[in-house]
Amino acid sequence: MSFILQKDHLNSFARKLMKTARLVAPVRNRYGDTLLTEVDDPYAVAIDLDSQAQESAKPFLFPQLQTLFTYGKDDYLFSEVNEARPTVFLGLRSCDVAAILYMDVIFLKDRKDPYYKKRRENTVLISLGCNDPFENCFCLAAKSGPFLEFGFDLQLTDLGDRFYVETGRAKGDLIVDEWRQFFRPAGEEDDKARYQATLEARGRFKRQVLVDVAVRNLEAGLVPDTVWRRLSSRCQDCGGCAYICPTCTCYNLVDAAVPGGGGERRRVWDACTFAGFTMMAGGHNPVDMERERVKRRFQHKLLHDVRRHGRPSCVGCGRCVGMCFGGVDIVKFIEMATREEGI
Amino acid sequence: MTADNPLLPHPAVILDIIDENPHIKTFVVAFRDEMFNRRFTYEPGQFMMVSIPHRGEAPISISSTPTRPGTVHLSVRRAGKLTGAMFGLEKGAVIGLRGPYGRPFPIDLIGRDLLFVAGGIGLAPLRSMINFSLDQGGGHGKKIILYGSRSPGEIAFAHDIAAWRKRQGVCCRLTVDEAGPGWDGAVGVVTELLDGIEVAADNCVALVCGPAVMIRFTLAKLVRMGFAPANIWTTLERHMKCGVGTCGHCHMDGRLICKEGPVYNLAEPGGEAALDKG
Repeated sequence: MSFILQKDHLNSFARKLMKTARLVAPVRNRYGDTLLTEVDDPYAVAIDLDSQAQESAKPFLFPQLQTLFTYGKDDYLFSEVNEARPTVFLGLRSCDVAAILYMDVIFLKDRKDPYYKKRRENTVLISLGCNDPFENCFCLAAKSGPFLEFGFDLQLTDLGDRFYVETGRAKGDLIVDEWRQFFRPAGEEDDKARYQATLEARGRFKRQVLVDVAVRNLEAGLVPDTVWRRLSSRCQDCGGCAYICPTCTCYNLVDAAVPGGGGERRRVWDACTFAGFTMMAGGHNPVDMERERVKRRFQHKLLHDVRRHGRPSCVGCGRCVGMCFGGVDIVKFIEMATREEGI
Repeated sequence: MTADNPLLPHPAVILDIIDENPHIKTFVVAFRDEMFNRRFTYEPGQFMMVSIPHRGEAPISISSTPTRPGTVHLSVRRAGKLTGAMFGLEKGAVIGLRGPYGRPFPIDLIGRDLLFVAGGIGLAPLRSMINFSLDQGGGHGKKIILYGSRSPGEIAFAHDIAAWRKRQGVCCRLTVDEAGPGWDGAVGVVTELLDGIEVAADNCVALVCGPAVMIRFTLAKLVRMGFAPANIWTTLERHMKCGVGTCGHCHMDGRLICKEGPVYNLAEPGGEAALDKG
């Protein structure tokens, strides 16, 4: 079913959602940065549905630093620490929802990760399609946007004075049922306007990024070693691409003593571009970091995940383009891997 | 006991510590929870994640056999932070254990002639398979065990070697890189021992474990001797953090060694390419 939510009613609707969950939305802070932020009062902050949030929802579902267990001072017995608050994400972009669907595969498909699972089960996704893709976006080529066909609880489309609202998963239907006063059924004009918006959005991408061609060239072994070497030599080992990436999920487990005795086992984000990522006890590193530092990351996104999970795991959000000061983001790689003439 | 958290370590007590050589110790451990301990089992070739307070975790091969239940043997070479800390532990100390993880050696191999080729600490996972196959009783094929060490003083698992040499149908040969006083055995790399054995390559399965270079040369030689790649098994070593296929550290050419390995068959897709990387 499709509905209409007047934009004037968005904040009141948001307030209703906050009765039973924390609300996380893109908020423009006083430095001018738009970040996904927990909202205490939608009237008191600038919910910014016109910009791309600088980070995806990844930190909320898979935090950069998370305590998994505590263990005692006198007894080496581990106790699970796993808390999750019901959370409604409002205004998440299509790519970031697609990234959550990818994380679902990684953390929930086989051996279930109880930490991700608990947070995910407590999550409601209200996404916002992209009428006007941002500067570095290529979700169309990555098949994760600009609008979604599944994965959301509610999907909003901006129609100027109102949002066109589609219900996806059951939680979305429940929300519309519960807060019926904010919604009216969408009419024919609304359907047309929505269709028009999605059609126009497809023509507004500023970048042509040939994701499929890169995948094909990787499959066919057509990407020469010189590409990896040149990109690797410019990587500064900062890990920024992996941290900002909504689908980079590699992590490390570390222990730390806590004051008063005992300790904590913590999970922290890791990055395969870090020199120590594959280093084994004793110092041997099976990966040649000089030549192959970035190889695994791009192959993982565009080759291995295609084989393993049936599609690339780059969602085309473009964040790494803005993040990488060495200019070796995935778009640069795809450009090099799809150039027809020699490299 | 609940097992819904795959990252949860269970307390285990060190019952005994065997000094295998100056660099390798075998820790004989049992879970503190006796009911859990009785229920616990594993297969040869699998590994455990071992935790030491404040030192984190590391993957350690199981060197015992599930046919001798009650305890788990973890044979460790001192290499890094965690194994260094393990060397400071004494009997009675409590460690954290979770597992078993990884794909084991195929158990249906044990009816055939088996050729084990090991170097250094690489004998640890093979010891599990050797004792497992011996415990399965007579009537099976012969077993050849070739083991290379740096020096006579570094030969680990001496008790096992003595026991294997007493068994009928078992041929166990040792070699060292550098001989020492009193050593009258073979000197040289372990691949040279392959020259002196009688084996029908088409009726034998080879299991190889050791340092990367040793594995590479051994596999090449086995292929030259007529072993089909499908009859060659080895193990791959990678940095691992989770053991359950999510942390990404053991990712190698699209495979996660903690789940799709550590045991590998040379005929598997990409198997040879993977082995090139050691």
